[in-house]
Amino acid sequence: MDFFSNLALGLGVAFTLQNLFYCFLGALLGTLVGVIPGLGVLAAISMLFPLTFHLEPTTALIMLAGIWYGTTYGGSTASILLNLPGTPANAVTCLDGYPMAKQGRGGIALFMTTVASFFGASFGIILLTLFTPIIADYALRFGSAEYFALMLMGLVASSTISEGSAIKGLASVTIGIVIGLVGMDTQTATVRFAFGNLGLLEGVSLIALAMGVFGVAEIIMSVRRVSAADIDPESVKLKAIVPTRDDVRRSWFPMLRGASMGSFFGTLPGTGPSIAAFLSYAVEKRISKTPERFGNGAIEGIMGPESANNAADQTAFIPTLSLGVPGSATMALMLGVLMIHGVAPGPNLISTEPELFWGLIMSFWVGNIILLLLNIPLIGLWVRMLTIPYHLLYPAVLMFICIGAYTSGFSPLNIWMVAAFGALGYAMRIFRFPGAPLLLGFVLGPLMEEHFRRAMVLARGDFTVFFERPISAVIMAITGLVLIWGVWSSEALRNKRRARAQAPETGRGAPGQAEEEAREGTN
Amino acid sequence: MKKMMTALAIAAGLASPLAAQDWPSGTVSIVVPYSPSGNTDILARHMAPYLEEKWGQPVVIDNRPGGGSMVGTAQVSQANPDGLTLLVTTSAFVTAPAIQPDLPFDPRTDLTPIANVGYVSYILVTQGDSPFDTLEELVADSKENPKFAATAGLGTTTHFAIEQFIAQSGANFDVVHFKGGGPAVVAILSGEADIYGSSVSSAGDNIASGKVKVLAVLGNDRIDALPDVPSTAELGYPETEIHQWVGVFAPGGTDPEIVAKINADINEVLRNEEFIAKVTPLDWTLEQSTPEGFAAEVDQELTSWKKLAEDQGISK
Repeated sequence: MDFFSNLALGLGVAFTLQNLFYCFLGALLGTLVGVIPGLGVLAAISMLFPLTFHLEPTTALIMLAGIWYGTTYGGSTASILLNLPGTPANAVTCLDGYPMAKQGRGGIALFMTTVASFFGASFGIILLTLFTPIIADYALRFGSAEYFALMLMGLVASSTISEGSAIKGLASVTIGIVIGLVGMDTQTATVRFAFGNLGLLEGVSLIALAMGVFGVAEIIMSVRRVSAADIDPESVKLKAIVPTRDDVRRSWFPMLRGASMGSFFGTLPGTGPSIAAFLSYAVEKRISKTPERFGNGAIEGIMGPESANNAADQTAFIPTLSLGVPGSATMALMLGVLMIHGVAPGPNLISTEPELFWGLIMSFWVGNIILLLLNIPLIGLWVRMLTIPYHLLYPAVLMFICIGAYTSGFSPLNIWMVAAFGALGYAMRIFRFPGAPLLLGFVLGPLMEEHFRRAMVLARGDFTVFFERPISAVIMAITGLVLIWGVWSSEALRNKRRARAQAPETGRGAPGQAEEEAREGTN
Repeated sequence: MKKMMTALAIAAGLASPLAAQDWPSGTVSIVVPYSPSGNTDILARHMAPYLEEKWGQPVVIDNRPGGGSMVGTAQVSQANPDGLTLLVTTSAFVTAPAIQPDLPFDPRTDLTPIANVGYVSYILVTQGDSPFDTLEELVADSKENPKFAATAGLGTTTHFAIEQFIAQSGANFDVVHFKGGGPAVVAILSGEADIYGSSVSSAGDNIASGKVKVLAVLGNDRIDALPDVPSTAELGYPETEIHQWVGVFAPGGTDPEIVAKINADINEVLRNEEFIAKVTPLDWTLEQSTPEGFAAEVDQELTSWKKLAEDQGISK
């Protein structure tokens, strides 16, 4: 089949009534989750994942993907209106979005970020469509050694690049791997770390882990945060959202640059939308002729990052679908969905499941158009959502988490695990250990072990195999560089902080909080 | 055995007949202890819609690969014996215990056999652009340059099949384990392994597209799905006949009435013309069985495989 018949096949799948409905539902839920600060996309996907058991795999993925990219659309709303990022990927949007809202230009900011989001996402989808099949073709040359190297790179990158301390990131990965070891060994069925508990034979549930570390921990963290919002409804009325000619003129290039950067960082393991958004902001400020406008409501400061994070959302699917190697914690959950629905992600996916692959990609267009339509006229509704006090919202969320955990295996043990992982996640937040590398370590650890052992058998016990095969050698070299750079830069950052701490404290405003949010990144 | 006796006692006197009539009261999940796209998985997915229609409840296929199918099998042995968690597995159920003595469950008492679904033959496959066009060439070359043989996991029937072939042919194959037939076929496609004892459905479209080359059918006779492919007996390797059955199990202690009902429903699906038309091109020989008959078969095979493993020196 050629390229265009594939697209037609995908459109046919995406436009069935059922898929349209679930695409809409996913986009709607995603926006909702994105608007409410604190309720992360990981918690949302892990909560709704058991619901998809009754759906066709394609439909299930379409819905969950809708939640994933929908949150990034919705996430800008709270950033702009409340100076609280809806998701970590939107944190940087606070810097200029909130000042715009204070200047009475909140409606314009909301409208323009939706446009930027759509532009970035479209850019990402085009790349996804063009490059995934090429990468998948190439991936058939990958053996166990290459897969091991690739996953090692993903773990090292996610723990050293994306968040605060590289050492703490590596510690999180290690904890994740150890949790992943619980249960029967995948090669010989030897039981490990189950401590005689038969419920642990099949290992720790991915859903329980994700819900605990992200959902429950988030709720505990949020208990004492702002309770409800105070927003001027006039500023978001439809007539107040028309941008000026100057706004439009200033927006083009930041959007384009943001989309390119976002697409690139989306495909890299361990980076994703948050990093893409931050770097896009830094670039815009650096190249601007009027950098002093940034932080005071410069529209470039929201257009670049919002375009970047949505582009990254889309291209993050490239390694997951073509190699079966998830680059981020959310993609690890998507991988779990695929497995549960009997689809083996990897180089064979596109040829064995063309309907799923092309249908999913074409549904991204549908979903993004739905989001465009949902976000612009419904801005008023989303704003009202922000006025629901958290103390009403969170008990309900907690209840859904418990139901979700129980039904994912009909096991009460899962609920205990959610509670235990909630405590672990909370402790990790307090001591600033990032959560995403833990989840990635949990998913990739057992896969890495499998590939490592097989690579060893195939090399007849020769460790140098990882450095002799060209692809593997290159990946290992990059991994080494990433590790060195990560540790070095986090040391440098710490020294800088120490220096700043010695200087007198100069009022830490809201942007500081936004930055902290991004560090907690759960992309 | 104790669990079985208790279950029988309960069934004889105390159990309410309502249990079987009300079954299933919720989603039925069928655990497949292999990665998606192997032949067991494909068969289970072909069966699921028919069972769903019959039972009026969703039937979910849950892949739990690892440990040569023992991870998923152990999981079902721990599940609630309410008939809502079932296992569809291969003869690895009887071969794996022969070489893995430390399993955390007893295959005789912790799982209840329900139905034997049918058999597939094995075909020996290699990469489409492999320089070897016949099995003899590959075997001969392996004696100079050792080759890698893929299996669907330690202790699975494909593992036994390849070990048996190695013993018969004197080929120099090192065995590498994968998590099911799907990943093993990918290893053939990528050239990571040189030979795999596949089923027709695991190799799938790759045979037609020429990405996978079929060298022989393991056994005495050719098969209808691939009439041009020689059998190993024809090629001068007798006694390599090996079949793989696929069967359905429930956790030990499941109400015998529920077991009987599932057995009857599965047998009905196996007689469904539409279903038969879908799976026969995949080289399935379908069976009709009773729970008792299948249980006796399993018991007998558990003993005979153990003996074979000891004789061939591959038991632990």
